[in-house]
Formats: sequence, structure tokens, C-alpha cells
Amino acid sequence: MTHDSAPHKIPDPAPGHTSEYLQGPIPDPIKGLLIDIVTKDRYLDRQEELACYAYDSFWEEAMPDAVIFPETAAEVSRILKIASLHKIPVTGRGAGTSLCSASVPLRHGIVLCFSKMDKIIEINTRDRYIIVEPGVINADVQKALAPFGFFYPPDPGSMNISTIGGNIAQNAGGPRCLKYGVTMDYVLGMEVVLATGEIVTFGSRNVKDVTGYKLSSLFCGSEGTLGLVTQAILKVVPRPETAKTLMVTFKDLDDTANAVSDIIGSGILPAAMELMDKFTLNAIEDSFGLGLDREAEGSLLIEIDGIKEACEREMAKIIQKLKDNNAVHIQESANDADRERLWTARRSAYGVFAKLAPDIVSEDVTVPVSKVPEMTRRIKRIAKSYGLTVGVLAHAGDGNMHPMIPADRSNTEEWARVEKAFDQIFEAAADLGGTLSGEHGIGQAKARYLPLVMNQDSINLMTRIKQAIDPDNILNPGKFV
Amino acid sequence: MNSPIKTPVKPLKNCGKCGLCLGACPVYKVLKEEQASPRARLQLIKAYENQTLESSVLLKELISKCLMCGSCAKACPSGINHYEKFMEMRENMVKDLGETPVIKSLIFLLARESRIRMGAGIARLGQKLTPAFLANKYCIGNIPLKQFSPLNPIPFRKTVATRIPAAGEKKGSLVYFTGCATNVLYEDTGISTIGVLTHLGYEVIIPKSQTCCGIPLMFHGAGDQAMENMMTNIAALGSYECDGIIVDCTTCGAALKDEYPALIEKQIKKSMANKDSLKSAPHPSHPSWDTLAARAQKIAEKTMDILSFIAAHKQDLVFDKTYPKLCNVAYHAPCHSRNSFNSLPLVQMLLKDLPFIEYTPTPDEAECCGGGGTFFYEHPKTAKKIMDKKKAHVKGVQAKYWLTDCPVCRINLAGNLDSTNALEDIRVFHPITLIHNALKKDVLKNKGHQ
Repeated sequence: MTHDSAPHKIPDPAPGHTSEYLQGPIPDPIKGLLIDIVTKDRYLDRQEELACYAYDSFWEEAMPDAVIFPETAAEVSRILKIASLHKIPVTGRGAGTSLCSASVPLRHGIVLCFSKMDKIIEINTRDRYIIVEPGVINADVQKALAPFGFFYPPDPGSMNISTIGGNIAQNAGGPRCLKYGVTMDYVLGMEVVLATGEIVTFGSRNVKDVTGYKLSSLFCGSEGTLGLVTQAILKVVPRPETAKTLMVTFKDLDDTANAVSDIIGSGILPAAMELMDKFTLNAIEDSFGLGLDREAEGSLLIEIDGIKEACEREMAKIIQKLKDNNAVHIQESANDADRERLWTARRSAYGVFAKLAPDIVSEDVTVPVSKVPEMTRRIKRIAKSYGLTVGVLAHAGDGNMHPMIPADRSNTEEWARVEKAFDQIFEAAADLGGTLSGEHGIGQAKARYLPLVMNQDSINLMTRIKQAIDPDNILNPGKFV
Repeated sequence: MNSPIKTPVKPLKNCGKCGLCLGACPVYKVLKEEQASPRARLQLIKAYENQTLESSVLLKELISKCLMCGSCAKACPSGINHYEKFMEMRENMVKDLGETPVIKSLIFLLARESRIRMGAGIARLGQKLTPAFLANKYCIGNIPLKQFSPLNPIPFRKTVATRIPAAGEKKGSLVYFTGCATNVLYEDTGISTIGVLTHLGYEVIIPKSQTCCGIPLMFHGAGDQAMENMMTNIAALGSYECDGIIVDCTTCGAALKDEYPALIEKQIKKSMANKDSLKSAPHPSHPSWDTLAARAQKIAEKTMDILSFIAAHKQDLVFDKTYPKLCNVAYHAPCHSRNSFNSLPLVQMLLKDLPFIEYTPTPDEAECCGGGGTFFYEHPKTAKKIMDKKKAHVKGVQAKYWLTDCPVCRINLAGNLDSTNALEDIRVFHPITLIHNALKKDVLKNKGHQ
């Protein structure tokens, strides 16, 4: 397996650490100890198998030296004690769908794959929580809650396969997080194994809990650099009575973006507001033939949910705002099948782009909602100046933009232009008071942009936290901290 | 993703490693190991093609731990044809490393019609001679020997005429590709298919020279033998004027509809690269490549699975009103019915509309059963895990009948039910059999079912 060349320089690891890592294959005596913990069946170290854990959904790849499937927190603890003692890097993995290389073992060592730790431990809709192991798939949480009339709001695009452990590590979002909030807002408590092997718990089954630091907020989005989650208590909410979906098209992209900030500004909070530009819309239409308006410069997919009467009132207000912003077609879904059809169009956007070129660079810069029109214009301008095609897709209601550039990494000249364009896109986002990532995470690739949105003292604080919790820097080294 | 528009197949480098195929893969879903996922197999193939990974027994095993159900290709947003890539890789692995003796003999058998018949004959004899205590104890793959269906006493195609006239006024002619399973194992499916088609006013033509479609050969990397079988079948099916070609097994159907044209296209590309003339033939006794391509295309366009055909003609079925209503009828959608023929919604509608059936869908009726050609034999533990989930669901709806339109699924479903257990006393048929039984008059004698 080749180590693909990095698109951006990997930031230097904390000084004095890399050289100390155990290099090369895990020596037999240590391997023996690890196998004693998990048995041979859950320990992989043959090249063909290791090659299957060298990647996630990002382009960066790196081979592990061993892959271990733990089944209990105690096993994770014993493994980490050994890894700490011998300075072996450990990278956590769920289903490997990270879009920022969070599960790629850049410094090699052990990949701890949690996919087999997939039991739902307790469902309690009376007290509104569910307790799960980290390998439970997001969609399986939804399936388990459905019979009770409840759901778990975070809905990343990968929800059919990504695990709760991964969702927590990346603080995953999704379209309906506009109204409901992201993963962090739903983690009540967790059990975590630290690099030293200590098993710690924090939070509780209670929505209100100010007992000590709210450490679950720190571990959410820590990308496996602080500890490994072995159990999580998640808040669940009742499924809304009704949901209505609107598909709206505009002649002008500015009007489209303005409509978004107008609706949000008027005090209505839809469950989702997805913006697609002309390029995206036409690419979807080419693949699916759903009868979307090919001439529209911009379109919005808006979903509202809640009590039937409230939905109707909100819908009327939304339609008024859309008309004020020169909407051309406003189409309401007549039934669930219709709704599903519209969402299919939206969800297929990534796939449709994936067909256009070997690689698709999709970042997730986020700006304040009122800056969505300006950010959209800047993205278009930047891409054009580098002779690139860009599709703009956004969870527009929360300012989470997905500029997607189809490209071919093997074309080095083009790839250099893509990198420069993204340099400027990140700068533009920072300039508008935005941030680097809304839901994908920083990983290794975006680490060098951190100074755009954080001062050195703030970056140093993250480093100090990391050093305090993982002094040997064995957890997911080579990433943003 | 169910796209009505066919997009061209994309090269391997277009795989963005997004992982959506993991959620579609029946093997990944039970094992939860990346190395058993379609994404991993593509990565391994990439590494093999880039020569960063050499052939090995383990590589071959990882590539073959796949049901070839095609669900990954269907879910792929990047338009990768996993199916074809896997087939190619399997062939490479067999070239590099050879095949196990059991699989070798399977290929030997399926490559010649006479050998299939001989093999079935020996197996029949074997079934008769196997002492009960052995049959109870031994398993083939994950299936106990005693739960295998008895073979047809005489190969089905030998028992019927080449042309069977329509009942009543003739509306047209249909060629019937019976596949090996109906021919040697499930004659009830064959009898019923003929019965229903003639009832609908169609003459049924059963070309005697047809042979195994070749899919099992392709899966095991025996491309040359598969090519031979294809030539035989193109000649057999192409020599009759007809309004359609009917398959009762959607895997055979996928061969006629998708694999034959793809196989020929690949050969043509190869010939073009070698600057050979397309007017040349693969063998002096065969037609030229471009003639073959045209014939295969015609066959592909005419191929229909029996259930989709019935669904389109259900208004013409006349049922016996006194036929007792069958309750708790569940359906299992074979992977190739879903992925190659998109027949699931049609079949669900058909089952709902049949007046003598109370159709009880299980929540996972569209999930793979783990049979997958020889998968149940090669990977019995994984196959059992997949099957156990399905079994729990079908028992959950207290099914009495479990219908499926694929013979391998039927072997696997029936084989995993323990008929001595009241809860598992579920009868497994091709849906066509129940439809045929409920028709107003029998066109052919009904031999009943085991």
C-alpha cells in the first residue's frame, strides 16, 4: 500500500515525541500480550488485512501495524496500558467514514476498531435516554427508537453506516441539526478510556447536570486525540407529529441565500434548509431525472416539523418570505413518497459529484447565516479565478457550506489549483467571521489553517490539554493537536 | 440508489471511499469487519493492480468472501461496478493460485450439459444411498444434508416438449430459459412456469440445447468455460422467433441481461487492442464478434423475470374461486431480483393483489439470505449469521409459506429451517407455484411439491 502524498504538509508532531514511537511491526512479546487480551480472532496483522484499515473517506492513507477489535472497556484499558508503556500510537476507528482522516493511523501503530462493540445497552424513553456502545450504527439507534415514537436528531450523511463512537469523536452534524443541534447537544454522559488505561466516566442520565466540568463537551469533537469512548448516554426526543417539505427555486442565487437569512431572521426555525446552486441541481437532474427546474440559479429544500397547526402557520410565513425574495416555483410535498423524492435529490448530491471526477474535494466551512449570500459569491469567484468547477451546496440555515470541487489528484497541476482555491475559501470564511469546519472536523489536512480562526495562545491551550491527558501523545498522533 | 437513468460505469479510481457500500453489504453487516466490505475489496484490487500487494491465499479469501449480490454497486454514488471488478479479480486470483478441488469439480460439471446430467444422476443415487444417520449428521456448508431437497427424478427439460401450445387463443410465444436448478432440482417451478404462461395464452418454447448460464463459472474465475456456455446459450435462445425470454431465476436472468453483453464487449475491446478484426470469430465454429454482440443484445432486451412478467399480466389470470386462502405468506427478495431486475416493488404489488394470498411482509424481506451461489458452502459461519437474522424475522410474523424466486435462496432458506420444529414448519416455494395452483384450471398435471 503506498502512502499517498499529502495535499497539505502534515504539521510537525509535538517535539520529542515521534522519535520515541515504537517503529515497525509490533514485536512478538508485545503482540503476545495483546492477543492474550482479545484472542487471535480479534487481532489482525497480515498485510492484506492491514491494508483494509489504512484509509477512511478522506484521501490520506497510512498503514497500521495491527488492528484490534475490543469488546469491553476493560480490554480497551489493558490495550492502552500496553500501548502507553511501549509508546505505540493508537488510532480509534468506527466505520471509517471520516472526511478529515480522523481514523487514518498517520503514525502507524494500532488501529482500535470499535465496530464489533455494537450493543444497545438500555432504551429509556420515559427518562428520554438511550445507552449505547460506541460501535452502534447511527441508523440502528434510529431503528431501535422508532417503535417508541422517539428519535436521535444528529443525522450525518453517513448515518446508515457511521457509528456513534465516530459521531462523538467528530461531533457530527447533519441537515436537521439546524433545529435540533449537533452530537454534543445529545451526549449526556460517557465512559472513556484514557491513554493511561484509566477508565473514567462523566455526565449522567440527567439533562440538567452541572456536577464538575462538562467533560463530554471536551471529548465531543476531540477526534480520538484525548481518549476512546466505550459507552455513551444519549438524549433522545419524541418524533414530531408532522413534517412538511418545500422545494423552491429562484432565478438568482443571491435571492436564494437572502431568503434563508430572512426566514431565520423572522424567528422561524425549520428542521432543515438546504441550498443547492444551478450546477448542483443540473448534476442531480442529469443522474435522476426528477423534473427539477434546470434554469434555476438557486434552490432551497426546506423542511419544517412539529405540531400540525403550528407547521401550517409557519409554512404560510415561510412562503411569504420566499415570495418576497422572488421565488419562482414553490412546490410543497403532497405525501411521504413525494417528500422522500425531494430528499433523495438532496442526499444524492455528493454521489452525483462523485461521478464527475475521480476525486471530489468537499469542505465544510461555516459562516454566520447572514453571510451565506456573500460567502456563496466568494466561493464562486475564487473557483472561477482558478479555472475550477464548483458546486455550492449548503446546510444554509446554519451557515454550513459545502463547496464541492470535482478534481483529479493525479493531475498535479490541477490539484495545485484546487489547494490554492481552498486556501482562499478558508481565508474568506475566516474573514466573514466564520470557521474552518462545521461538521467534518480538522484532522490533519486543515490543521495548518487553525491560525486563521484561533490565536496562538488558544492553540497552545489545546496543546496543554492534550499533554495533560495524553502525555506520551499516543492517541491519534499527527492530527490537529 | 435507484436511478432510472443508467450512468456509464466509472473507473476504480473514482471510488471516493465514502463507505456507503458498507451499509448495503450483507456480509459487512453481520461481520462488522472492514476487510469483509466492498470498499476494502476495491482497495485490495487497487493495491493488486498497482503491484503493491501480491496474490496470496489470504487475498483470494478476502476477495471471495462476497455473495456477489451486487447491492454495493447499486448503492455506489460514484458509479463503480463492483460486480465486474470482483469478477475480474476472482479470475486473476484463480489464474494466480488455482481453485479448490470441490470448486474445480463444480466448474467441470457446469461447463458441459452432459456432465450436469451425469452429476445429478450420481447425486440422486447418492441421496438414495446415504444412510439416515449420516444425513442427519453431515452438513454441506451451513445446511444439514437431510434438509436438502430431493433431486428431480428425471431432468425437467427431458420431461417436456420443445414447444408447448398456449391454452386457448394464442397471444404470442415465449422462450423459457429454465436454468440448471429447475432442470435438476426444482421441477415444480418449471411445471408451474409453463402452466401459468400457457394459461395466459402464450406458447412456451424450451430450447433443448440450452445449458448452465455460466454465472457460477464467472464467479469462480472460469471465464473461458463461461464463454463457452454463453456461446451455446446465445445459439440456443437466438434461434427462435419470440416475444420474450423468460427466466425463473434472476441470477440466470442477470447473465442473459447484463453479463453476456458485457463479456462480449470486453472481448471486443481486447480484440480491438490487438487490432484483430471484429469480423473474426472466437472460434471457427462460432459467429463473428460483432454478430455475437448483436445477438446478445437482442437476447438481453428480451429477457424478463417470470414475476415481473406475471405482474404485468396479472389482470389476465383467472383464479379458482374455491381455492382456500393461504395465510401468513412471506416473501424473500433475491439479490439479483432487486439489483438486476428492480422487481421488488412489482412483486410486492403482485403479492398484495393475489386474491388467495394473505401477504405478510417481514421487515427484512429485501435483505440477502447469505446463500449467494456457493457462498453458503465456502463461508458457512458467515452464511449462518446472515440466515439467522432472516429466520428470526420470518418466525416473528409466524409465516407458514416463504416465497422466493431464486433457487439458491430456496435451497438456503429451506435448508436452514428445521421442519421438526413447529415454529420452523414453513414451506418454501417459488411464488409461481402458488399462483399456478390457484389458477382456475390446470393446463398441465400438477405434480405437487415436496
